[in-house]
Amino acid sequence: MLEEGSLKDHFQSSDRFGEGAILWFSKILSGFLLIAVLVIHLVVNHLVVSGGLLSHQQIVSYYQMAFIPAMEIIFLIVVVTHALLGLRSVLLDLKPSNKLLRVVNISFVLIGLAAITYGIWLVVAILNQG
Amino acid sequence: MSEQTPKAVNWMKWFDPRSRGVGMWAFIINRLSGLGLVLYLVLHLIMLGKLAKGPQAYDQFIAMMKTPFWIAGELLVVAAVFIHGLNGVRIILTSFGIGGDRQKQLFLIIMLVAGAAVIFFAWKMFAHAGGG
Repeated sequence: MLEEGSLKDHFQSSDRFGEGAILWFSKILSGFLLIAVLVIHLVVNHLVVSGGLLSHQQIVSYYQMAFIPAMEIIFLIVVVTHALLGLRSVLLDLKPSNKLLRVVNISFVLIGLAAITYGIWLVVAILNQG
Repeated sequence: MSEQTPKAVNWMKWFDPRSRGVGMWAFIINRLSGLGLVLYLVLHLIMLGKLAKGPQAYDQFIAMMKTPFWIAGELLVVAAVFIHGLNGVRIILTSFGIGGDRQKQLFLIIMLVAGAAVIFFAWKMFAHAGGG
């Protein structure tokens, strides 16, 4: 149970670190990269394939093209990075304390690594079915 | 605890539509579409796990996703992608000093482009569902 003083610190501390230039630029850069890869992703999945949305067999075949697994892994890393940096920006609007922000930072790094590991495992699993 | 009340009220103001300028609407729309896309990303990654379970599990799921209800849901995601993505381009441009004095016009233009893109995708996606 948090005491009133510590709760106040969580939301009102003034000596705090937030979204520095590097993280801000990372968010902008990942967003920019995301647009390019996402357009390919949307077009392939919603416009090109007959009937809309790829079937399992079509996905396995699609992944046999040499550059697709690499592109999908880059897409995964960029989208997870952008999502977590964006979510962190929203949380910063709620003015968390440095202590709480540190917990958020560590949690987000772990969540990001877990999501990317899971995604890479999935790409390898799809490749192995080809 | 009384010190917390003003902050909670500030947070709730996100959902207060009164006295909003175009810039604030752009900010709110960007935040909400971003949060929606994060939620979708989580669900999308979990759902893609069906690919590892084999054709039957995945194709059964995809058959459900081709029904009008789920296509409408997916169209919301497409709308969020275009709104968030194009709004992001506007933010990049203005952050680097391009079009800073034309932010309102830029926002209205990207909303129109996003609207046109959503209509195009809706036409294609529902045509696929109808066998077109």
